[in-house]
Amino acid sequence: MMNLAVDTPWWLAGLLLTVLPLFNSGIQPSTYPWLQILPIDPLSQAISVILRVCAMATMAALVLGLAGLHETEQSRERIAYGANIVLLLDRSNSMDNTFAGKTPDGANESKATAARRLLSSFVEQRPHDLLGIAEYSTAPLFVLPLTDNKAAIHAAINATATPALAYTHVSKGLSMALDLFKDQPLSGSRIVLLVSDGAAAIDPDSELQLRVAFKRRNIRLYWLFLRTAGSPGIFEKPQDPRDDNAGAMPERYLHLFFSSLNIPYQAYQAESPDAMQQAIADINRLEHAPLHYRERIPKRDLSGACYVWATGLLAVLLAVKFFEVKR
Amino acid sequence: MFSNYLKNYRFWLLSLALIAMLMVFVRPTQNQPRPIYNYTFIIDITRSMNATDYQLDGQAISRLEYVKHSLRGLLAKLPCQSKVGLGLFTERRSTLLFEPIEVCQGFNDIDTALANVDWRMAWAADSRIASGLLNTLQMLEKLDTHVVFITDGQEAPPVNPRYRSDFAAVKGKAKGMIIGAGGLQAVPIPKFNHKGEPDGFYRPDDVPHRSTFGEADLNPEKIQGYNARNAPFGSEAAVGSEHLSALQESYLQALSTEAGLHYQRLTNVDDLAKALQIPAFAGQKTIAVDVRWQAAMLALGLAVLVYVRVVRGRWNTVRKAGSL
Repeated sequence: MMNLAVDTPWWLAGLLLTVLPLFNSGIQPSTYPWLQILPIDPLSQAISVILRVCAMATMAALVLGLAGLHETEQSRERIAYGANIVLLLDRSNSMDNTFAGKTPDGANESKATAARRLLSSFVEQRPHDLLGIAEYSTAPLFVLPLTDNKAAIHAAINATATPALAYTHVSKGLSMALDLFKDQPLSGSRIVLLVSDGAAAIDPDSELQLRVAFKRRNIRLYWLFLRTAGSPGIFEKPQDPRDDNAGAMPERYLHLFFSSLNIPYQAYQAESPDAMQQAIADINRLEHAPLHYRERIPKRDLSGACYVWATGLLAVLLAVKFFEVKR
Repeated sequence: MFSNYLKNYRFWLLSLALIAMLMVFVRPTQNQPRPIYNYTFIIDITRSMNATDYQLDGQAISRLEYVKHSLRGLLAKLPCQSKVGLGLFTERRSTLLFEPIEVCQGFNDIDTALANVDWRMAWAADSRIASGLLNTLQMLEKLDTHVVFITDGQEAPPVNPRYRSDFAAVKGKAKGMIIGAGGLQAVPIPKFNHKGEPDGFYRPDDVPHRSTFGEADLNPEKIQGYNARNAPFGSEAAVGSEHLSALQESYLQALSTEAGLHYQRLTNVDDLAKALQIPAFAGQKTIAVDVRWQAAMLALGLAVLVYVRVVRGRWNTVRKAGSL
């Protein structure tokens, strides 16, 4: 199925010129003393018609070429290994420190730098994925919708090199990440990859909303927790039972909340860039479910073909001129 | 038999047309310098940007909505290979959402990102325009992009003239433009409750009307109830109209002069596009431009002439087709 279109439609008015050969044969008239003496020759008439059609086709081809005839962008359905992934990145202040909780120096990169580096290479390894980015600090930031434009994703990941913002308000960030799937057809797996170095207690209202949204949108969740030395881990149990609450141990409670969602969920606790790299490699390996996606076939320019035809037809017309006789 | 064709003007027309068409394939493109642009839009998302003093299709909309509308319109007007980045300003600095992306390939992504800009993305309150601008210019210095800082110029709380930002460090290095958004008439600023629902407007009691940071810029002897430690700004309650917001055009113009930027008020998409696509912001890129149309048009013209009676023939001459 061809879908044709032109760049500049007003050029098509030039198609009116193609009627010219109907009124004018484009052949030098010859005087002849007595027309009646000439017999009607079907061959000559046929050739005359063919020449006029050639002339009309030449003009039409030129006009279509000038108008920029092209086949519109098409898409075809393909199946590949990939996923819809939303990266939810923590932009809180502490991400600008190293895994040891210090200001980065020459030997140790900050958690944000490590995340940026590793996520960039992760994106490179996933050619068929649709990726989207949301960020959060005190408020959620919508960055990019799910897209196959890898240059844009890299631009957004690079932009996290700018200084981080304020606090960690994870629940708002999560709802924004889930919202990115809102208008997305259900095809392939849907993944939220949360990269953070801390957590915050989730209030009961948003907890309920998140539970519903996670279930309804059919999300798989990966939490890449960048643990700073000395801070409580997500699998840790407090020694003092009085500390066992969401306020004192938000990381542990966020993990418990995620585990209770009844969705595919995997937490990785990385204490160094190497551990982080391993976690990302693991996710890369796990997420290879077949994904239906539509491959875009870009618009195809047909004006070149029009010009080729026009040239060929002109050559025919010119060649015929050599056989024209003048008495 | 073939000697006559040289006298036939149609023969010459067709020959020239054919030569023209051959040129289409010999030289289909021409390298031409084209202006391309690289902008990073930094949008003010502080509360005063919610003031509704723009009209769109007969409806009053907020400054922020109008800014988004204009930038989305501008996006379609930029030549391909131009790049656009996006950032947000609130408090006293900005954050970059993404570095400049090529506009034609990334049109959908940039457009969706712009559509999703919301005042609720603000990570902190306050609106320190001058320090935000300085911070932005320094942050984006390395990026080789033109900063387009879009704000209404409403400092909240007001700046103490004693502590003004010093743009000396970036002047001359920074390139870009401040876009003033808003009307010159002061209008109330909408207020929202903690659920994000509209909740009336800010009243005079809701906002600080002067800076109470550091030392006053006035002579202490002239301040009523002055006390160096307890009341450096005097004992009188400040009154003012900081709960209303208008475009602070003279302030923004002064800022743009200090920082070495251009200034333009946001009125409509066309003017914005014109103001931004100036030679000072244009980068030259040699692009292979399709010039096949030139030769093709020539060929078409020549071909048409073949079938138009240029020389008035005698009417009694019989035009006989296919006189082979």
